[in-house]
Amino acid sequence: MSDMKKKGELSVSERLGMVSFRNQGRTDSKAHIEVDTSICNSVCTHKCTTRLCPAKCFTLDDAGLVHFQYEDCIECGTCMYACDQGAVTWNYPHPEEGKGVNWTLG
Amino acid sequence: MEEKFDVIIVGGGIAGLSAAMTLARGNAKILLIERGTFCGAKNVSGGVLWGNDLAKLVPEYWNEEGGFERFVNHRRLTFMDEQSAFSVDFKSSHFDDVPYTGVTVLRAIFDEWLAGKVQLAIEASAYPDESFLATDILVDEVLSENGKIVGIRAGEERFFADSVILAEGVNNLLTRQIGLEKEYVPVDHMAIGIKEVLRLDKAKLEDRFQLRGRSGLTNEFVGFCSDGVEGGGFLYTNRDSISLGLVLGLKDLKQSGKTPYDILNTFKAHPSVADMIYGSETVEYSAHAVSTGDIRSLPSELYADGVLIAGEAAHLLLNAGKAIQGMDFAMRSGILAGETVLEAKKANDFSSEMLKNYRLALENSYVLKDMRTFQDAVHLLHQPEMFGPIPNMICDFGRQFFSISGEPTPKASKMMHAAIKRNASYWDLVKLGIKGARAL
Repeated sequence: MSDMKKKGELSVSERLGMVSFRNQGRTDSKAHIEVDTSICNSVCTHKCTTRLCPAKCFTLDDAGLVHFQYEDCIECGTCMYACDQGAVTWNYPHPEEGKGVNWTLG
Repeated sequence: MEEKFDVIIVGGGIAGLSAAMTLARGNAKILLIERGTFCGAKNVSGGVLWGNDLAKLVPEYWNEEGGFERFVNHRRLTFMDEQSAFSVDFKSSHFDDVPYTGVTVLRAIFDEWLAGKVQLAIEASAYPDESFLATDILVDEVLSENGKIVGIRAGEERFFADSVILAEGVNNLLTRQIGLEKEYVPVDHMAIGIKEVLRLDKAKLEDRFQLRGRSGLTNEFVGFCSDGVEGGGFLYTNRDSISLGLVLGLKDLKQSGKTPYDILNTFKAHPSVADMIYGSETVEYSAHAVSTGDIRSLPSELYADGVLIAGEAAHLLLNAGKAIQGMDFAMRSGILAGETVLEAKKANDFSSEMLKNYRLALENSYVLKDMRTFQDAVHLLHQPEMFGPIPNMICDFGRQFFSISGEPTPKASKMMHAAIKRNASYWDLVKLGIKGARAL
């Protein structure tokens, strides 16, 4: 269980804390990934993006419903390949209006 | 930028920059567009850049302070079970000689350095003021006229060229847009790479890994590191940091119900890895979708009228067990794309008939030759036995062989027999052995 962290282990949020994001302060940023969660929450049986996304942008709530946020996305592209239900529309983040990463090491 | 370019390159990664360098040297008028704030800002790799094409692009790069992290003269392949690590280790001063066989890189640093070299080549070219490396610009669309690619649109602006090289990376949206890649690419031949960069005091790092000057170690792992999921781990030494990560097959990971970050924690906690990273501090966490090197994952074609696809956008990658080759393929494909455009410019013919030479050049180069030669090895590496039974068996044997218990010691063959019985079957091994002998 990823929530039960052993001593010395890094959580995803701790890891994301090290990532430099673009337009970090901007509150009106545009989403570069759109997820039709109504598909995730109706026909999709595996909801695999909730496990595969390395930035936990896809989460399951207590009722088992999928939620999505793009702000923590590190642009790996995994969800674009992993979703076989047509729920994920992937774009590159806009340089000024979007979010997305700005690696310092890479 | 009203005037038409000879070529527009989309993407300032290794493929795009290698194409740009080749084209600038050939006195082409180029526009390279990168969406990051600088070339490298969006790029992640393991990463080792193998081979010596870099020396063609930047002669005597080894004398430079910038660019790569360390050259590789020490290589290690480690089989892991839960508590043990059994390694094949090779170090040679042959590998101290230039050109190096491989260098470790951190892409945000390396790509920016390479872009600086391309800028110098542009300044020395026939079009110092009419060729550009433009960053912070997002290409929205590839433009076509009568079935031929003629340029790109970025926001409201349109830029035109005789040819376009798409070097946009693995998330190849533009390649999909022009129909050379399917709209949806399933996970079957894809993996996720996940990595931490761990900072460690340089003197400590050099002592711990027996590094001298700028020498470096690469260590690949198979077995417990991927927690039963298809894939493997890697550890590479940088100047004052360690790149530590995993490449996990997406199809298998999806079916396993596991998460990549939990597996990364498992890998980091393995005693042999914990000893190597002790006292270090994680400073960056990254991830990146990766092709697995299955030739079936290549786009339907790598060229069309007025356009060429290079690097990971073309899914050029190979992991045949001895190295993960992606960046060197990106470099060579970028160079070949650049050379093809220079030929096309000379003939003033940018039709697909002419650009087909790019495909031919790739087929005749080690890139597609090796991808074809080692397809069986790629498939062999994806056998489930490779991630559990085989590494477990090897470690089981190692534990017996290297322990002195005060009891009469059986012969090594007996130990091997016991290890096989406990972890695999002879029949599986024979099957794998035959496959392996054919594949490598």
